[in-house]
Amino acid sequence: MSLTILTFLPVAGALVMLVFMRKRPSAYKTTALVTSIFTLALAIYLATQFRADTADFQFVENVSWISSLGISYHLGVDGISLLLILLTTLLSVVAILGSWNSITDRGLAFFISLLVLETGMLGVFVSLDLFLFYMFWEIQLIPMYFIIGLWGGARRVYAAIKFFLFTFVGSVLMLVAILAVVWSYSKHGGPLTFDILALQKAGFSGTLAIWAFAAFFLAFAIKVPMFPVHTWLPDAHTEAPTAGSVILAGVLLKMGVYGMIRFCIGFFPEVAVKAMMPVLILSAIAVVYGAAMSLVQPDMKRLVAYSSVSHMGFVTAGLFTFNQQGIEGSVLQMINHGILTGALFMMVGFFYDRTHTRLIKDYGGMARPMPVAAAFFSLFVLGSLGLPGLNGFVGEFLILIGVFQYAKVFAVIASIGVVLGAAYLLWMYQRTMFQQANEKWLSLKDLSAREIITLVPLVGMAIWIGLYPHTFLNLLHAPAQNIISQVQPYLAEHGNSLLGLASSFFGGF
Amino acid sequence: MQAPDLIPIIPELILLATACIILLVEPFLKTGVAAADGAGGAADSPAKGDKTPIIAIALAGLIGSLVVSLALVGHDRESFAGTLVLNDWAVFFKVLFALGAGLTILMSSGYLEAHRRHLGEYYALIIFAVIGMDLMAAARDFILFYVALELMAISSYLLAAFFRYRERSNESALKYFLTGSFASAIMLYGISLVYAETGATSYAAAGRVLAQVGGAGVPGGTAGVLLAVFLVGIGLAFKVSAAPFHMWTPDVYQGAPTPVAAFFSVGPKAAAISVIMAAFIVAFPGVVKQWGMFFIILAIITMLAGNLYALVQSNVKRMLAYSSIAHAGYLLTGVGAMGWSGNAYPGRGLLVYLAAYTFMNLGAFGVLAYLKTQMPEKFDYSLKHLAGLGRRSPWAAVLLSLFLLSLTGIPGTAGFIGKFYVFGGVVWADLWWLAVIGVVLSAVSAYYYLRVIVHMFFKEPEEDYAVREPIAGGMAAALAVSAIATLAIGIVPSWLWDAAVSAVGTLFR
Repeated sequence: MSLTILTFLPVAGALVMLVFMRKRPSAYKTTALVTSIFTLALAIYLATQFRADTADFQFVENVSWISSLGISYHLGVDGISLLLILLTTLLSVVAILGSWNSITDRGLAFFISLLVLETGMLGVFVSLDLFLFYMFWEIQLIPMYFIIGLWGGARRVYAAIKFFLFTFVGSVLMLVAILAVVWSYSKHGGPLTFDILALQKAGFSGTLAIWAFAAFFLAFAIKVPMFPVHTWLPDAHTEAPTAGSVILAGVLLKMGVYGMIRFCIGFFPEVAVKAMMPVLILSAIAVVYGAAMSLVQPDMKRLVAYSSVSHMGFVTAGLFTFNQQGIEGSVLQMINHGILTGALFMMVGFFYDRTHTRLIKDYGGMARPMPVAAAFFSLFVLGSLGLPGLNGFVGEFLILIGVFQYAKVFAVIASIGVVLGAAYLLWMYQRTMFQQANEKWLSLKDLSAREIITLVPLVGMAIWIGLYPHTFLNLLHAPAQNIISQVQPYLAEHGNSLLGLASSFFGGF
Repeated sequence: MQAPDLIPIIPELILLATACIILLVEPFLKTGVAAADGAGGAADSPAKGDKTPIIAIALAGLIGSLVVSLALVGHDRESFAGTLVLNDWAVFFKVLFALGAGLTILMSSGYLEAHRRHLGEYYALIIFAVIGMDLMAAARDFILFYVALELMAISSYLLAAFFRYRERSNESALKYFLTGSFASAIMLYGISLVYAETGATSYAAAGRVLAQVGGAGVPGGTAGVLLAVFLVGIGLAFKVSAAPFHMWTPDVYQGAPTPVAAFFSVGPKAAAISVIMAAFIVAFPGVVKQWGMFFIILAIITMLAGNLYALVQSNVKRMLAYSSIAHAGYLLTGVGAMGWSGNAYPGRGLLVYLAAYTFMNLGAFGVLAYLKTQMPEKFDYSLKHLAGLGRRSPWAAVLLSLFLLSLTGIPGTAGFIGKFYVFGGVVWADLWWLAVIGVVLSAVSAYYYLRVIVHMFFKEPEEDYAVREPIAGGMAAALAVSAIATLAIGIVPSWLWDAAVSAVGTLFR
């Protein structure tokens, strides 16, 4: 029952707000916050009860739902989903706290949307049934669509529709793939089931596997987003309200990578191994391209948005190396990116609340009126560019080790991304916080207590993961081993062909 | 000669009695001046007399027929020399039609009142149409089917022309009548060819002749059989409003009273689909591949035409007309897959889809009818008149959003379950490319459905379109039933699936 409670607690809170607190902003805001804190507390409690020494799914619930099709209400978590659940619940609290005063119009609907969104995201991470997974996957589109479309910036309608349509096209193709996979399994002697664990054992191969992999991969690549299907992201992130950007960058993007782990690799390990090189190439392009785009953005939020493309490129690259360091680094980097980018969006939101501009050129010398904000901002910027001692470094380092083992050339390209990352982040920091102070902003108030409380957990996590990542990596050993054991049989034969080809091509570089 | 078994037609007998009672009671309810039409200049003398008794009689009759139909579940008998059957197939459709007609009636009274044309005949005509549709689904003989179709069609023509003082309504009826007559004539020619080649008018007898030879041994040969099949198919495609035989649909829906358009978009369509499935599977077994492919091609053209035309509509009622064409396309993919694979599997999904579609589409039209009732002069169904509806009438806006999201196929709603089962059947028949076309086009449809939501929630109205009163009475009941059914089918579809399985099972033995 624990996972059911965890997943639906936010919606329950939303219902209470809808029924009892229509006209009382302070009451429904408090309820929203309390609900999200309880959800976080429950997630933390589950984490303490979690056994890290096994890749098996835990807290499993399995109830038949649509029995004629073998669809069941099947929940469970492993180390990867547990970490993502912790991230989701943490960022939900942060998002609610962060938009406490910035949302004045239709606040009830806004906080309800956030809570429904939280249920949708948690549902994606706990589902062990394809049908259930797909349901949650699609349902979270609706609250996000409204969050962008109702409370977003000037071009919000365009951004909201673009976000919806991009994701929707990917997901409907995935639906066909889901059906094809399930029918194929049942026609070839297996039971008719949508159970993810059962289908992972099926071992799909041949043409079906290639096409189904492609459909799944496209759906997830749009979500990640990988180059070249990333174009919805800068618009959606930039136009979304602060809380929307935090959740979007912090959690929704991770659903894409999570899907790749569960389905692209879990169902089709053979094809996934074949896809290593193309995915790494796309990831490398994303790393450099995202960073280069970030360099030239005049808008702070857009800059952070493009930096997400770059950072998520690291994540997909690490995942598709199929070695321990790469996979663990990839998952950990998702958490890091969620924390740091969430924090950066939060900071930009705090500045925007005061100045109502996001353009870098309108800022300058902000460290003078807002020293505390500047200090927090510097920490998140440094974490994001990979300063040792903060969390960004750990993830990037592990991924680079992983990629290096697979093909050195990609490690070099990825390092270029790291350097560019330092460039655009520090340059932005310099132009906004230092340099010529803008007279207009000298009278601005520094961060309020609420805003500081919002940021403190993120700082804590950044330092914790930076100094002692073992707590989190410990959860990832077993699942990473599990992924490797799935692809191992195909990796061996593949290693002789493509990797050999690649390394000989680059002259053993 | 033995008296025919009347049990199979008890539901229709009840309806027939109801319709006759309505016609008899109607004159006695009219006190004072006879009904006149608002647009005709007789605005001072609106229809007098409370129509509540008539509505009560009509609903009682429909509920009676529904209950009796449900009581007849599990029967399997023939009557009238095998021209008509009573089995789960017939019961499924009888229940569906009774529900659809009941919801339509609940939606109508306020609308007709607002247009000052509230006449008892209206309800009688709807019930006559339901009798026709019931008999279409129960028919197992081309002659009976044709007679039933004409009963339905003639009632429909009258309903379309119900606002006889309005040009639009007249245009609508005339177009409906002319194209409908052409379709009937083409179909009749096809039926006569079937008779010429097999010497039979019953589905089963025709099927026995055509089964072994694929038509090779009959006069005219395979080509003759195919000609007959296609002519019957084209006639039915008119009724389903499949492209390229869809041209009448938008004009007819736009001109007809909105509740009538709602009824047209679900009832006759479902009845025609039921005939296509029952007649074609039983009567044309030797050429299943050919007619399967015929409907697949029709489905592709229909999905394309419906979705692409709907994209450019600025009038929501017209957009829903094109969307109903698109949905006919999705349905026909299932019909085609059923023929192509010669298997019951894709057929089951169709029945689920029809039920889902009935509720969500009636609901969507119902909200429009409510708005028109509230603003008879101002509201012309254009998108811009919906702007700001989220603030003015949140319930109407939320309900319309629910129905539109369901039409889009978002999980958690009936529309998703319908698409899931239909495209599931299509993929099951190894026609995954057809499913891909279908889902991609349904992603396109997200754009025009979302655009309505954008206007309702994200845009501010240009002038004040205040609704006078909240949703109440019959309209509230109808919308509540539609909404609950939309969600219920979306979340617990098993019972509907089981009903569909046993219904389709009667066709394949």
